[in-house]
Amino acid sequence: MRYDVVVIGAGVAGLTAGARLAEGGARVCVLAKGMGSTHLAPGTVDVLGYDGGERVESPASVLPDFVSRHPDHPYALVSVAPALEWFAACVERGPKPGYRYVGSLEHNVLLPTALGAARPSALVPTTMAGGDLGDPAPICVVGFRVLRDFHASLCAANVARSGVEARGVEIDLNLHTGRAEENSLGIARHFDDPGFRSAFSTRVAPSLRPGERLGLPAVLGVRDPQGALTDLEQRLERPLFEIPTLPPSAPGIRVYDILRAALRSAGGRLVIGAEVVGASRDGTRVTSVRAHTSGHDHVYEARWFVLATGGVASGAIELGSDWVARENALGLSLSGAPADGAARFDPDYFAEQPLNRIGVAVDSSLTGEGTDNVLVAGAALPGAIPWREGSGEGISLSTGFAAARTVLEREGAAAAA
Amino acid sequence: MNPDTRHPTPDTPLFDLLRGSLDHCVKCTICETACPVSNVTPLFPGPKYAGPQAERYRDPAAPSVEWSVDYCSGCGICTQVCPQGVKIAELNAHARRRVKARKGVPLRDKIVGRPTLLGRLGTPAAPLANASLRLRPIRVLAEKVLGVHRDAPVPKFAGRTFRSWAKKHKSPATGRRVVYFHGCGTQYYEPDVGEKVVAVLEHNGFEVDVPLKQDCCGLPLQSNGLFDDARAYVLRLARVLAPHARNGAIIVGNATSCTLMLKREAREILELEDDPDLKLVSEKTYDICELLLELHDRGELNTDFRPLEESVAYHAPCQQQGHWIGKPALDLLALVPGLQVHEMDARCCGIAGTYGLKAEKYDIAMKVGEDLFQQVADSGAAVVACDSETCRWQIEHGTHKPSAHPIELLHRAYGL
Amino acid sequence: MAAITTDVLVIGGGATGAGVAWDAALRGLDVVLSDRKDFSEGTSGRFHGLLHSGGRYAVKDPQAAVECIGENVILRRVAADNIEDTGGFFVTTPFDDPAYADRFVQGCRDTGIPCEEIDVAVALREEPRLNPEISRAFRVPDASMDIWKTVWALARGARDRGARLLTYHETVAIHRSGDEVTGARLRDARSGEEVDVEAAVTVSATGAWAGRIADMAGIEGVRVLPGKGIMIAMNHRLVNTVINRCQMPTDGDIIVPIRTVSVIGTTDVHVDDPDDRTIAQDQVDAMLEDGERLVPGFKRARALRVWSGVRPLFEDAKADDVSTRDVTRAHALLDHAERDGVSRFVTITGGKVTTFRLMAEETVDAVCRQLGRGGPCLTRTQALPGSEDGRFYHVSERLERKERHLQEDQLVCECELIPRARLEKAFEQRDTHNLDDIRRYLRLGMGPCQGGFCIYRATGILHQLDGMTAEEANHTLREFLEERWHGVWPILYGDQLRQARLDEWIFQGVLDVEHVQ
Repeated sequence: MRYDVVVIGAGVAGLTAGARLAEGGARVCVLAKGMGSTHLAPGTVDVLGYDGGERVESPASVLPDFVSRHPDHPYALVSVAPALEWFAACVERGPKPGYRYVGSLEHNVLLPTALGAARPSALVPTTMAGGDLGDPAPICVVGFRVLRDFHASLCAANVARSGVEARGVEIDLNLHTGRAEENSLGIARHFDDPGFRSAFSTRVAPSLRPGERLGLPAVLGVRDPQGALTDLEQRLERPLFEIPTLPPSAPGIRVYDILRAALRSAGGRLVIGAEVVGASRDGTRVTSVRAHTSGHDHVYEARWFVLATGGVASGAIELGSDWVARENALGLSLSGAPADGAARFDPDYFAEQPLNRIGVAVDSSLTGEGTDNVLVAGAALPGAIPWREGSGEGISLSTGFAAARTVLEREGAAAAA
Repeated sequence: MNPDTRHPTPDTPLFDLLRGSLDHCVKCTICETACPVSNVTPLFPGPKYAGPQAERYRDPAAPSVEWSVDYCSGCGICTQVCPQGVKIAELNAHARRRVKARKGVPLRDKIVGRPTLLGRLGTPAAPLANASLRLRPIRVLAEKVLGVHRDAPVPKFAGRTFRSWAKKHKSPATGRRVVYFHGCGTQYYEPDVGEKVVAVLEHNGFEVDVPLKQDCCGLPLQSNGLFDDARAYVLRLARVLAPHARNGAIIVGNATSCTLMLKREAREILELEDDPDLKLVSEKTYDICELLLELHDRGELNTDFRPLEESVAYHAPCQQQGHWIGKPALDLLALVPGLQVHEMDARCCGIAGTYGLKAEKYDIAMKVGEDLFQQVADSGAAVVACDSETCRWQIEHGTHKPSAHPIELLHRAYGL
Repeated sequence: MAAITTDVLVIGGGATGAGVAWDAALRGLDVVLSDRKDFSEGTSGRFHGLLHSGGRYAVKDPQAAVECIGENVILRRVAADNIEDTGGFFVTTPFDDPAYADRFVQGCRDTGIPCEEIDVAVALREEPRLNPEISRAFRVPDASMDIWKTVWALARGARDRGARLLTYHETVAIHRSGDEVTGARLRDARSGEEVDVEAAVTVSATGAWAGRIADMAGIEGVRVLPGKGIMIAMNHRLVNTVINRCQMPTDGDIIVPIRTVSVIGTTDVHVDDPDDRTIAQDQVDAMLEDGERLVPGFKRARALRVWSGVRPLFEDAKADDVSTRDVTRAHALLDHAERDGVSRFVTITGGKVTTFRLMAEETVDAVCRQLGRGGPCLTRTQALPGSEDGRFYHVSERLERKERHLQEDQLVCECELIPRARLEKAFEQRDTHNLDDIRRYLRLGMGPCQGGFCIYRATGILHQLDGMTAEEANHTLREFLEERWHGVWPILYGDQLRQARLDEWIFQGVLDVEHVQ
């Protein structure tokens, strides 16, 4: 099959690149071997939460210095603001009515985690904004026994230690599904139902005290989270917010839905289940990629490729039992790996691990080393430790956005030439 | 580890494709978010539980200790969405078979597993058979005696077979040969769909061969745990089709479940990786929409479509999704001027082959399909396009709207 | 300071120590069983799980072989619930000396080990992942034994008969009064409180640490050389039968299917410090190669965890014949009254886990001699708690139980199928805040995700149940993560690295465990 651009990977970076390319008029196909990281991530947009272990108050202020200290970091190659603006606009015109992301690069919002730590994020959905720990209003954290993935009393106990009054309460959700356990997504589907919300409000109200804001696990609906939020805040007459917890992540799935809709409405194609296992080249130009599909492999030809396959967590970059690291889809060179014979891991779990920053080697335009026409975006890039720095979505959005822009510019230049 | 270890060939050292794939599971829960069955019933705890997780507890030498995996419908969506490459649905299929080996396979499953048998019995007496199957008392009796739910969507026998038409039909000799694998649905219930497939292929310059000795691909037997019988059927079919493939022809089919069986499921689930005929056939098999779209991509598709000022909803069956090629039907339908296509966003219509026919599973199947039926209603579309015949029957049952294979719309748009 | 009086103080809660407590309690003695950490945290909890048929020693060490097969039969009778009747194969691979097989057969015959040669085709049919190039195969009654379960069954059995169990009680002094040992002072590592135990007889069942305890008692010449070996648990049962290479015992020559994993082991490196738990990368690499010889494709399978254990190799400094000083795997019962003139003190060391019951029997015999009372040994016939019906454990048990009670309770640890009620009960029974203790007790967090999902859940449940403070909960969570990392980083490649990265996203990304107050 022939396209202008083939994007490999349907996480935040891949869908962003695909949607931007389609919006720019390119014929795009996004190939993915499965669902991406969105379903597992909290759903906030984290740009820079921690710099060398120290909490960052303002990403905008810190980034220039951060980048000068980490010249190999993806932030050294791209600007963040345009991608965030685009994302916020996507959310607003997306399939979740009234749902918005708030915040800015100027100031990180501190939100409680399911453990009760305070985690900094740049943009957060309206359904989480009420949990800002910069606000001193006391919090009642409500959990449900049926949701084993969230523990209100532990969350509240740790929040309280950080200076905001908090207590934990467990109530019965009465789902009547016949299941002893339910995950966040299953519960979120119930919260999409106004009848359920009404019953829930009646059940939870007696446990709440005046002046308290209500913290729930991240279950405020998938289809209409803003509707759920507004409805519940009205019924319970207090601010309400959701707290991200163990996967599956309802807020993360909303992000997937939104980016998927952006890709679709711009005319882009998405193929789930097609794992890219090889490529053909003509010198330094990749001419096509081969996807493992049922029966016979499918070949996708394109003029440009965006590799947004993720890093180690998705299996895009793999360390064999021979201790050699490989990039699995196109076989591109890697950088940031420890030298041969050097330690790959530190015995201290919380130490900086030598293998952390490994990624696909790129030049300053995000073009993969040894290729002319493969751009790399997202967690596949070297130089960052997104889960520790709190930079995952920031990197994925900004590099996916930039990769798309670079391709469109080069296409335009090629057409003009 | 290079990617080839995920897709072992006879050259890679002894590696158990299914059990070995459980190692890839990182418990991420993505499969659970997508499973259409576990999301509507507590009787199936979900793909993560039934597949890679339970597999670590299974002893091949001892009888199965399970029952809940029998509620897995085999839709395969879990395997499709798994980002790590775990063969979840395939592991479930094996586990299901062992459950049935312990409990015994009900007569019902042996019957619905053999559409050819049903077809041969029902076709000569079609009017009577069709009328009976629509008589309430008979359906109630069938439910009590056999376990086929009284409301389950059973198709109508056409009263004639596709091959009886094909025998008399001669494709214009163009030299561009293609072999048509029509499947049991077309043969006994929808021979007109088969005629349209042939017409569309001929309209695009193909000479269509219909091997008259072809029979069932064995998928219903496999999904009902009758692996040995399924193997016999699919290998028989492979023997019929392979010589054509060896002569350079490609094999095309319109039943996306059956073409998937040939492409992948027979090799993976029935462990027939070593059969050279099946391997060749699987590599040369195409879904009709897949083929036409590739033609279009090369600029070779006849696009003289007349406008169809209609609104159609398109649902990709879960086993069409199992081809992992996206939704070629969507791109084809987009070529028809005036046609408004609404892409449905549902995972499964619920029928999952023979699953939704069963008395103990019918309600689950209807709950699974609820979301799709609602989306169809909301779309306002007049007809639902869908590549699999069992899904079409379920969709008609659940939406009370007509359902057609995408090829039928193209056929009409071509004015054939 | 607290004080306890007892008949027998058993220092060391591994298989031998717990076995001594069980045996002594059955004979009507009052027992205190102590360990500086959790029971079976030492060598016992760190072996590969093999219940020997003795085949491995049939040629090299016939005496050990005889002991093994004898104990194999007895343990199958009295400890069935802790044993999986997997059976074992000895196979001659292309890397083995074919001549050894005949010596093996003869050795089995001489030592009374049931050994049946089977067709290679039969072996390969039963174990399809085995190297297809094996030339000979023999069936023996190897089995796998869950030692954590066994030790707790022993301890429970002793406690049911009045014994007191003191985990996390480190021995800080052995009390001597002239030529007698009168007991010991123990310190609770969790509270810092000390307790004096006055005992009629003190038993040191401390394995590789026996020298240290003997030193405390002022006894010289108890030299136990720690022989360190590593083992790797593979994510699933690559085989369902114990597979041994048919050759003289060497590194990485055995794969043991136990519970939901298969364990490959081991190596043998003499170290100085019994607490040396470092893992050498080159040993890990070598062991993966060893696995490849028995099961082609082994290196592509997922490694779950690696750990080391130290064998207690007793070197008798007081052996009469200096020239034949041999470091043996046989056990050594040191009655210090006879050996050193210090009475009411006995050391039991050396040996293998398989022979723990025999070691315990000999020890308690010696204790009774010193005490002047206590009946005959009952452990050959008395079933352990949980093993009364004589049914072997089967790998599918937890799945079967879950299927029978499918929607009745939540699974907290999904990988190991642990329901919430079971976890809550364990927290109560064990009275511990240490999740690693529960890991040994229930296998919490021992599956593929290595706690990625279940540890937050378990911490939350424990916090709620127990009225723990948040600090304690955070500490317990962090401790678990750090402890887990020790066993994971040397085998972090392929699927397991991917899992570890996902777990980091969860713990550091979503939960931000690093920055909790």
